[in-house]
Amino acid sequence: MVRKITIALAGNPNSGKTTIFNNLTGARQHVGNWPGVTVEKKEGSLRFKDYEIKVVDLPGTYSLTAYSLDEVVARNFVVEERPDVVVDIVDASNLERNLYLTTQFMELGVNLVIVLNMSDRAEESGHKIDTKKLSELLGVPVIPTIGYKNRGMDELLQAIVDVAEGKFDGGHVTLSYGEEIEEEIRKIEELIQRDAGLMQRYSSRWMAIKLLEGDEEVTKKVTGEK
Amino acid sequence: MDRREILDQVRKSREHLRGIFDDEVETVIVDRRYGFINGIYRRAVSRPAIERLSASDQIDRIVLNRVLGIPIFLFLMWLMFKITFTLSEVPMGWVETGQEWLGNICGRFFPEGSAFQSLVVDGIIGGVGSVIIFVPIIFLLFFCMAILEDSGYMARAAFVMDRFMHKIGLHGRSFIPMILGLGCNIPGIMACRTIDQERDRLTTILVNPFMSCGARLPVYALLIGAFFPEKGGTLLYSIYILGIAMAIIMARIFRKYLFPGPTAPFVMELPPYRMPTIKGVIIHMWERGVLYLKKAGTIILAGCVLVWFLGNFPWSPEYSKDYDRLKQEARLDLASGLIMKEAMDESITNLENEQAREKMEKSYLGHLGRIIEPVVKPLGFDWKIGVGLFGGFIAKEIVVGTLGTLYAVGEADEESAPLRERIQRDTWPDGKKIYTPLTAFTLMVFTLLYIPCVAAIGVIYRETNSWKWPLFAAGYTTALAWIVSFIVYQGGRLIGLG
Repeated sequence: MVRKITIALAGNPNSGKTTIFNNLTGARQHVGNWPGVTVEKKEGSLRFKDYEIKVVDLPGTYSLTAYSLDEVVARNFVVEERPDVVVDIVDASNLERNLYLTTQFMELGVNLVIVLNMSDRAEESGHKIDTKKLSELLGVPVIPTIGYKNRGMDELLQAIVDVAEGKFDGGHVTLSYGEEIEEEIRKIEELIQRDAGLMQRYSSRWMAIKLLEGDEEVTKKVTGEK
Repeated sequence: MDRREILDQVRKSREHLRGIFDDEVETVIVDRRYGFINGIYRRAVSRPAIERLSASDQIDRIVLNRVLGIPIFLFLMWLMFKITFTLSEVPMGWVETGQEWLGNICGRFFPEGSAFQSLVVDGIIGGVGSVIIFVPIIFLLFFCMAILEDSGYMARAAFVMDRFMHKIGLHGRSFIPMILGLGCNIPGIMACRTIDQERDRLTTILVNPFMSCGARLPVYALLIGAFFPEKGGTLLYSIYILGIAMAIIMARIFRKYLFPGPTAPFVMELPPYRMPTIKGVIIHMWERGVLYLKKAGTIILAGCVLVWFLGNFPWSPEYSKDYDRLKQEARLDLASGLIMKEAMDESITNLENEQAREKMEKSYLGHLGRIIEPVVKPLGFDWKIGVGLFGGFIAKEIVVGTLGTLYAVGEADEESAPLRERIQRDTWPDGKKIYTPLTAFTLMVFTLLYIPCVAAIGVIYRETNSWKWPLFAAGYTTALAWIVSFIVYQGGRLIGLG
């Protein structure tokens, strides 16, 4: 039996996302546009073991706010199309900044795999990243790769499949915003949870945080405006 | 469940938190996230005792140097054109040979002198073929550009130019759309979306067409191949630089008079240098290059067939002389021993050429050409060039495609000489050559600057959401092209060139 999995590739600009996408899909790519906007949409597919994996390349972004078209496109895909796994490509030599996007995906409550790309470069500069520790702290698999040498792809695919099958249990790590903010998040969450229409599609915590941040798109979703 | 209750709670919470933190809630939330990240980073990463300067930083010390930055950028661009032009010569020769062979083969399948033969040999192979020939040069240029992009250099170029762009009152972010414009202006214009400020965005959109796109390359390549084979790379480079210079000058003018106001500051990210992978570079090159091939198969094919039709119909116009009778007479002269075989062949060829030329002049295209000619004559162009430029509005390659079709139709001889040689031979009615190196250069300048193609105009419309800007762009570029070409051509003649 062949199982179909859809994954989304996300990451900061210049994190080596395109290289990973090319490594994974090779020539089986299809370029189109995201519906309604002229942001480029790339898709590809591959076979791994008994899985037919569809790969969607999201626009490179630093965050998932509603400020730029790229970020909205990336966010809407993850929230509305619900890919089985989101692969977040992180530039190992620029870890701190890249992890910001990672926190956004964690908050969305998606199935996440982190790719620690260009891990050789980080080591060259003397930074030793403890992948196991990182995985523990974030509660998601962390796979070191070297995109331009095509290294780590099999391990990545295995991790994707494991996560999609629910075989990875990293516990649930939550980013805590501190007592005062958490209190307000809880209040808003409670109200959201009473609304079946909203609960169907979104994680209540994510929604509550976004509302607190004054995110326009999410506010519109609540008021029902298009 | 009333959702207003949720929003009420959100409002209350935000006010409450603002009271506690004395800051916007979103700022506090972002801070907390960075705090979380910092905590993780400290536990999972051990840093070196002393931070070494990475190789990337060391390269950047030179490449981003205040003094050396711009010369290095200009040198790399020059190198790119030099390599492109030199390496493409050989494969272009192959394509040319293959095409002649194809033309001769295909010609035999159709009855001699039929409209169908003419359509296939002159219209399609002559027109589309003259565009296809430049596939190697386009792929090579895209290959070089992909290397510069994938290695991380293009971001440096933007950084180096940012300082400069600011000086001329443009946004640093405008540079990336400009670089993209070198491939094709359409993605270039679309990339202007990343510019937040409306006045910076509009300015960048309006000058983007001066970035010489790949579609204009065939025109340059044809003319350089015919008239400046020795100085190919440098001349090509100078045309691109001219385009960039015009973009800068016009941007300056627009920012000053059309959209006055300060320029927003901008922080740019510099990714570390990376060894480009062959696979990545080839995929990049292919993605862009294949668009060119697709265009050749669709819009350019249609354009060439249209030009062929307009250039051939009416099929049998009223001639000023009875060519058939004159040819017959020549044959009779041979039979009665009045002239030698060679003389007869020559006079028949002359008659055929004259007839072909007259037919062309009486065609729809000939009429159109006569309307255009007075406008382009001060630039040293004849009506054929005028018609080609007219067609170039559909897609710039059609300038070459049209000339290919026109010359294939206009010459009656059997063997199909390459377009390059045909234009070298063409003359004005008074016998002077139409194409001198000066005309060729002027034509390159005009092609660089005049009206953006239909697709680019369409994108400007879409991106500005009004017809005002696309019409303005079409008008001012063409006027500017005419003025600059006029100065180049007439100025060149004054100092005794061409």
